[in-house]
Formats: sequence, structure tokens, C-alpha cells
Amino acid sequence: MSAPEYAELIRELRAIPSAAPESVRERVRALGEPAPRWSIPQLPWRRSLLVLAPVCVIGVLVAAVVHGVLSSSPSDQAFEHVQSGAQHGAAGSNKQTFGPATDATTPQVLRSPIVPPTSGRHQDYDAWMRIRVKDLDALTQETNEAMQVVRSCGGYVASVNQTTTAGAPGEADLVMRVPVAHVEDALVRLADLGTVLDRRLSIVDLEQTLRQQHQRILRLRLFIARATAELQQSLPADVRLRLQFALEQAKASLSQVARANKGTLRVAALSRISLTLTTEHAATAVRKGGAGRFHRAATSAGHFLAGAGAVVLFLLIVLSPVIVLVVLGVLGVRAYRRREERRLLASA
Amino acid sequence: MRAVNAVTTSWAGLHVDRPSFSAVAESELDAVHRYLLFLTGNRAVAEDLTGETFERAFRRWRRFDPSRGTPRAWLCRIARSTALDHFRAEERRRRREDRFAHGVAVVDETELGPGPLEAALAQLSPAEREVVALRVLLELDGPTAARVLGISATACSTRLSRALKRLEEMMSDVRA
Repeated sequence: MSAPEYAELIRELRAIPSAAPESVRERVRALGEPAPRWSIPQLPWRRSLLVLAPVCVIGVLVAAVVHGVLSSSPSDQAFEHVQSGAQHGAAGSNKQTFGPATDATTPQVLRSPIVPPTSGRHQDYDAWMRIRVKDLDALTQETNEAMQVVRSCGGYVASVNQTTTAGAPGEADLVMRVPVAHVEDALVRLADLGTVLDRRLSIVDLEQTLRQQHQRILRLRLFIARATAELQQSLPADVRLRLQFALEQAKASLSQVARANKGTLRVAALSRISLTLTTEHAATAVRKGGAGRFHRAATSAGHFLAGAGAVVLFLLIVLSPVIVLVVLGVLGVRAYRRREERRLLASA
Repeated sequence: MRAVNAVTTSWAGLHVDRPSFSAVAESELDAVHRYLLFLTGNRAVAEDLTGETFERAFRRWRRFDPSRGTPRAWLCRIARSTALDHFRAEERRRRREDRFAHGVAVVDETELGPGPLEAALAQLSPAEREVVALRVLLELDGPTAARVLGISATACSTRLSRALKRLEEMMSDVRA
């Protein structure tokens, strides 16, 4: 500070004796040196915010990318869901479902083993496959080949429905019945007809149904035998009439249950295979290729970011009144302290 | 401002050299006392507050960051806060005493010295005296002094001009 017009005044001001007295000096010297304490250096909150905000943004972006990559992996696309019990003899009609997506372009799914029916148990085995073939010629050829495969396995073709329209992909739908003992072999051979796009298996355990049917048949036979024996004895007319009526009913029920039992055994003996052969140039396969995976990863990452954004927006909406109140409070306290300081220093 | 000639230590692994507390206290004691003397206008109070300021600084020494300002400016901020606390306590005390001793004349505690300049300084408000102390006696630059006072550099400069002008007017009357 050196203002020429106040030079003399400044000289006089500096000449005012204002050195600290010895007593104060002694008091300060007695404090000594503060003990060094090791602690984490505290960054000012503005600097911390400047560092933390980009770190958080980068963290969320990295998490989104990781989430996108992980959720787009092929193993995530094909899933298998097994309800236990069917293979371990549990009572009841248990069902296993395998599928739905069998990606033609992913080797591990192509190589995934087909679940065979459990030997020694009666099961309703239902398989559905969608196979891509090269062109219309191949479609006809492979349709015939599929029929031959089924016949060679001891089965038969229940229905064939082939559609070929100019300019549209051709399709052949075959419904086949194959003895359960040979279904695994049939499925493996059918899968070789082209590229498997999709495969579903459904296994329903029929043991309990059959057991119930057998028990009912036994009970009805026993009743019929007893009723027939009683009718050979002398009975009052009304009792005989009622017994004859019950006997007729039992015989009808027995024949009905026996038919149902035969039907169940037939279902258990023959598996059902629904095969769709298509020339469709697998939009699915293309979609599930390299570019498709990138697209899925980007979409998944986008969803993740949108979710994170929604959470942040929700928090902002919920917390904004509190933040506004806190900021107003801080500003108010600061303004109050400033005014108080001014008043104190103006009048003290 | 005198350079602090002291032993330096490494600060919490950040490799920022900082002087030792005792060296800073030794070199800045007079400056802080001078500032408090002008701010309070009372030698006895200034001595008490100087001691208290250094005790506070001793406790907060770990928080001192040499990269953000000089030890003198940091100590002046602590001194100012200590003085403001003193003024608040004094105000409370006066209010309490007024309740019981209504009508008793209040003794003016401002006491800088016997000369005309000291008398003229006593006519200034503490806010004016402290800006004179910071800018003229302690030779802090404008922005640093403004930061200590918590006002803008322009406001600091205006306040200083006004204080010096008033002092000059009072002193020219005396000289005449």
C-alpha cells in the first residue's frame, strides 16, 4: 500500500507501537509444535465434486457397457428349464420343457445333447424343431428324407403340409410319430437335415395316470366279480334289480377306463415330433450373428442407462425440495452472519 | 512481508513443503497482534485475542494449506473470527448488564494510545480500522485482504480509501 497523498499518514500509522508484548510471546511459544498426525488429505468439496462427478458418470457408462456385453452373450439366449421329478420317479404327472431358442449360428447350442426319454418309465415325449434348409429343391428333398428317417425308426408321418409360393420362403410342416425307444436317434438324424433354428422338447410323466387307471380297472373287475357271484344266489327282486343295474354301470366304466388306459399306453409308446423345414434365410440367424450381438449389447446398455437415468431423475424429484431447503438455509445463515458481522464491526 | 525462515516438513504425503507452526508463530505474532490491536482498538483485548488466535491456529494447523494462501492471511482469518466471537460475547454481556444497570453510562473501551493519531483511529469503526491494518500495516495485497474480510476487492479498496480520507481529515485538523 503506497498512496503518495497519504504517505505521511501511513508513516505515522506504521510508527504506532504495536509489537506483541513479551507475555503474549511467551504464551504462544509455550504452545510448541503440533504433533504430526497422519490422515487422509481432505480435498475441498468443490474439487472433490469436480473429480467425483466425472468418475460417477464414467462408472455408470462402464457398468452399462459391461451389462450390455454380458446380457448379449449367446449363453444367455438359450436357456434350459428343468422341473425335477420326471426322471427320478416322483409321483405325479411331471413335465420337462427344453428350449425355446436353439441358435443355428452358435456351436454350443447345436452340439447341445437331446434329452432322451427315461427308460422304464411311461412318458409323453413331444418334440418340436424348426430347421433351415438351403432352397426350395432342398426343401422337397429334405422333406422326403425326414419321412424316410421316421419310417426307418419304426414311426410314421401323421401329416405333411408343404407350402411353396414364388417370392416367399418355402415351408414344410411335418407331424410324425416315432416309437419312444427310437426318438433320440430320430431327432439326431432330423437335426442333420439342415440348420436347427429352434428346438423345444416337452416330456410329461404318465406313470401316475397309468397307476390310477390300473387301480380303477382292478376295483371295477373286483366289483364285477362279486356282483356276478351274488347274482347267482337267490335275492329279493328289488335287490337283484339294483345289483344288475350297478353291474351294467361297472362294466361300462371298465370298458371306458380300459380304453383310456390303452390310449395312455399308446401315447407313452409313440413320441410326437413336429418338424418345420423352412427356406427362410434365417432372419433369426442373421440377427443372432456378430452385428446382432452388438445391436443387442447396445440396446441392453441403453436400457441400463435409461434405468440409471430414471433412478437419478426419481432421486432428484424426491430430494430436490430437501436440496432447495438446505441451500436456502445455508445461504440464509451466511447472509445473516454477514449482516451480523457488518453490524458488529460498525458499532463495536 | 517477511519471508518465513523455518524448517519445512512434508505434508501428509502430498510433498507440499510447509513451514513449522512455531516458526510461523514467531514470525507472524507481531503482525497478528497489530491487526487485532487495530480491529479491537484495545491493547489488553488485543493481547488476549492474539493468544487465543494462536491457540486456535495450533489446533487447526493440520488444515492449513500453503498452496491456498500465506500463513499471515490464514492467521488473520482466524484472528478475525476470534475477534468477532469476542464482539458477540461483549454484546451479550452489555445487553445483560443493561438489563440490571439501566441508565449507567457505558465506558468507551477503545484505547490505542495517548497520541492524536490514536485518538483519530478510535473515531473510525472497527471495519475501517481493520482494513487499514491489513492493507497499510500488514501490507496484504488487495485480493488477499478482501478474502480475509469476506468482501470484494473493490469494496475493500473503497473502504480503505474512505478510512484513510477520514483519518487524513482528522489529522489535518490536528496538524493545523
